[in-house]
Amino acid sequence: MSAGPAVDPRGPRFAAVVTTVVLAVVLVTGWWPLLAAQTVVFAIGAFAGLRLAPYSVLYRVLVAPRLKPTSEREDAAPLRFAQAVGFVFALVGTIGYVSGVTALGIVATAFALFAAFLNAAFDFCLGCEMYLLVRRFTPRTEQAS
Amino acid sequence: MTGSTGLWVLAGTLVAGLVVGVLLHLRNGRIRTTDDSAPAGLPEPVAAALAPAPAVTLVQISTTFCAPCRHTRAILSHLAERTEGLAHVDLDVTDRPHVAQDLGVLRTPTTLALTSSGRELLRVSGVPKAQELLSALEPHLVPRVERGSHSQGG
Repeated sequence: MSAGPAVDPRGPRFAAVVTTVVLAVVLVTGWWPLLAAQTVVFAIGAFAGLRLAPYSVLYRVLVAPRLKPTSEREDAAPLRFAQAVGFVFALVGTIGYVSGVTALGIVATAFALFAAFLNAAFDFCLGCEMYLLVRRFTPRTEQAS
Repeated sequence: MTGSTGLWVLAGTLVAGLVVGVLLHLRNGRIRTTDDSAPAGLPEPVAAALAPAPAVTLVQISTTFCAPCRHTRAILSHLAERTEGLAHVDLDVTDRPHVAQDLGVLRTPTTLALTSSGRELLRVSGVPKAQELLSALEPHLVPRVERGSHSQGG
């Protein structure tokens, strides 16, 4: 399984900052189209790859040229998994807002914001860490080799 | 009305994030010594990874989806390389989460220091600090060659 080439670790950090701001605006305004757009952003990062993820593109075009290049690289797999976790929360949130169950929209958005904020402020990837927890509550299906 | 609710939730979420972030930061790399209680049977992949006596093995539990695991691997393999009687194994449990479950490991990376007989000396969650880890392990490592200048012969 290839998750794509390793990336400049400052890219995901930048993406986390943008995500934090977007989700904060969603919470304050309750404007669901913005959350829907963020859901699509998560989906692209998770399922199409980081190279195509809008915030990564933004980072490469706008931010990276102004920074010193770094040889540091970060694996793409954890990042994509975290984007997938974000996607689930954003999707649930959008459904909540659209269907009028605003409480659901707020709670789901708050969870996604919580994770994005931890990533932006502390460089702590909650989505990545959740992998074992998620697996713990799923039945022991295929146990490779 | 939605606006003000959202504003409160936003404030609450950010405060919660700050608190959790600081706690995680403080907890990161903290060493917990474990009781001497007899091992309750290690999962097979772990038992198989132990170095022969009298070495201590650092068993690092990782997953593919873990960014700090790579960092941890670099620190620990370097530490094992320059420390006599210390081995390091990185165990990827992505496809066998039951291994982590049997060890009571909830987050990755978690590193367990195990004797050759499988007795757990200590465990560290998060990215370990090499020097702290080394001093915690010191009493369990085979007595090293005389201190002082690099001993020749002997």
